[in-house]
Amino acid sequence: MGASLSSLTENESTANGRPGLGDIPENCVACVFMYLTPPEICNLARLNHAFRGAASSDSVWDSKLPSNYHHLLDVLPQRIYEGFSKKDIFAFLSRPVPFDDGNKEVWLDRISGRICMSISTKAMLITSGEDRRHWNWFPTEESRFHVVAYCQQVWWFEVSGSVKFPFPPDIYTLTFRVRLGKFYKRLGRRVCNFEHTHGWDLGPVQYELFTSDGQHAVSEYSLDDSDQDDTSANLKRGDWIEYKVGEFIVSRSDPATEVRFSMKQIDCTHSKGGLCIDSVSITPSDLKARRSKGVSKYQ
Amino acid sequence: MSSSTKFLTLKTNDKEEFVLDEAIAIRSQTIKNMVEDDCVSNVIPLPNVDSKTMIKVIEYWKKHSEEGISKDKLMDFDKAFVKVDQSILYALILAANFLNDAEMLDMICQEVANRIKGKTPEEIRKEFNIENDFTPEEEEEIRNENVWAFE
Repeated sequence: MGASLSSLTENESTANGRPGLGDIPENCVACVFMYLTPPEICNLARLNHAFRGAASSDSVWDSKLPSNYHHLLDVLPQRIYEGFSKKDIFAFLSRPVPFDDGNKEVWLDRISGRICMSISTKAMLITSGEDRRHWNWFPTEESRFHVVAYCQQVWWFEVSGSVKFPFPPDIYTLTFRVRLGKFYKRLGRRVCNFEHTHGWDLGPVQYELFTSDGQHAVSEYSLDDSDQDDTSANLKRGDWIEYKVGEFIVSRSDPATEVRFSMKQIDCTHSKGGLCIDSVSITPSDLKARRSKGVSKYQ
Repeated sequence: MSSSTKFLTLKTNDKEEFVLDEAIAIRSQTIKNMVEDDCVSNVIPLPNVDSKTMIKVIEYWKKHSEEGISKDKLMDFDKAFVKVDQSILYALILAANFLNDAEMLDMICQEVANRIKGKTPEEIRKEFNIENDFTPEEEEEIRNENVWAFE
């Protein structure tokens, strides 16, 4: 862009001899953009040529990218971003980027530019996971990875995984996305089947996370309501539930933070089963709070 | 400690003169540099600022230099300060930019952003009198270019 945006908004400034939006110098436009979100900036690009130029400038997008975005790109397998502008990089990273064999995805929240991550159960270690009598995989559009793990029946229930990533400094919340029962589509309708679902009301499931710098969080949830065979009255049946494992704080992106997480029910005196596990999410904590309140304007 | 208050005279581009306490005037980094470099004669010319705008700037400087003023009071003042016609707002941006007062510039840019927020391109064009100079092909191209932001 030029020194100012005046060329295309001169009507206003010449009409009354006072400056208009078009007369603001580039550094001031950049200052205005500091207070706008990426979708708002992209909106401005649609005004005219000058704004399109301003809304594409590297200095604007540099401030929207995480401070260590170079590092993020290095971690990713693709090299296709060479020659990208900063805006292109932001756009690229705002769509889920797969890594670790495609079983993990990372992306920037479009509004805040902060890192979100999802890890498929495919990337996790499941105790007796290869035994088809205990565990199965089934494809579904309800998972961003298009496949979920289904626990048919086990005594020792344990699923664990880890991720090492240069998370930018922030406070993150880690959750497991789980649902009771098996579901499928029949004649275009979603049908839930709870024939294998049992045992989850007898004892809580323990969730844990550990970080490479010694943080530890643990939480327990009962996954099913006892004495509630009536599905409509049982709030824990029939939909995906995100169980919060805990929070961890990243104060430095270098060295990369390693997070280990697990979900366990290892009381072998009873069997349990009929449970789907989709993924683990890692999301900035206050972003998650805003989402669940449904405040995000652009969704 | 200082025995006497120093005063500076600022002269706007419409030949108005403003006499101001140096301690207040050096909120402007531009003026501060001039004072420190000792290149201040009797009158400091401000070729990029008119008197109408300068009155507003000085009002802001004086309020923000008041001793012991509470944060709440300043916030109320700032809120009222930016409630001005667009053309005055832009004149203030240019002045704050020329005078190099980052705090004031930042506050006004935030106000401009607030006026843009939540509006469609069409509404912004209308309000800010901006002509759409894109061809239909270009509009389509820009839509595709930015589609990721609205998914």
